[in-house]
Amino acid sequence: MKKVTLYTLSTCPWCRKAKKFFADRSIPFTYIDYDLADETIQRRILQELDAAGATGFPFAKIGDEVISGYQPGRYASALGS
Amino acid sequence: MEAESRKKALHYFFEKVVEPLGFKFTPDAELVDFLLEQEVMLEGKHGIPFCPCQPIRNDRARDMQIVCPCIPFHREHFDAIKRCWCGLFVHKDVIDPDSLPQLPPKEAGRE
Repeated sequence: MKKVTLYTLSTCPWCRKAKKFFADRSIPFTYIDYDLADETIQRRILQELDAAGATGFPFAKIGDEVISGYQPGRYASALGS
Repeated sequence: MEAESRKKALHYFFEKVVEPLGFKFTPDAELVDFLLEQEVMLEGKHGIPFCPCQPIRNDRARDMQIVCPCIPFHREHFDAIKRCWCGLFVHKDVIDPDSLPQLPPKEAGRE
């Protein structure tokens, strides 16, 4: 199974939907709430967002694929389902 | 000012700002309520109602571009996806906000 990592904000409803997407399908995932993280982790997340041309959250990494925004169809495709 | 009063004040103010830009509040009342609540909380914490779905970078010039309503700073992107990033505002002609995918700038306009 592909590794799933989410970068999210605790204030963002689309981030909650993204977490729910994976939780509802019993797909293991880890997440970091950017706004609750320390500065070192925040800098690292921003570097990844900027490199991907992303401007906001949620930001999903599924295997080698990165997906910016809440895009359930692309989540499913990336998972291979 | 208590949160509910501030939410109403932001709603009143934002409506006047986004209307001339061709946007309106999303018809999803639950989403509006949730996002305004988050903005009131962010305003209480930072002194500014930042977008609840974009990162505060501790870079003033960049952070000013995510103060709600941030439409003027992202006009081309938001016009292409017919919504702002967090979905609080949609183009005036939008009836079904669920039909609008949350696409990043480099993917906007592909569909």
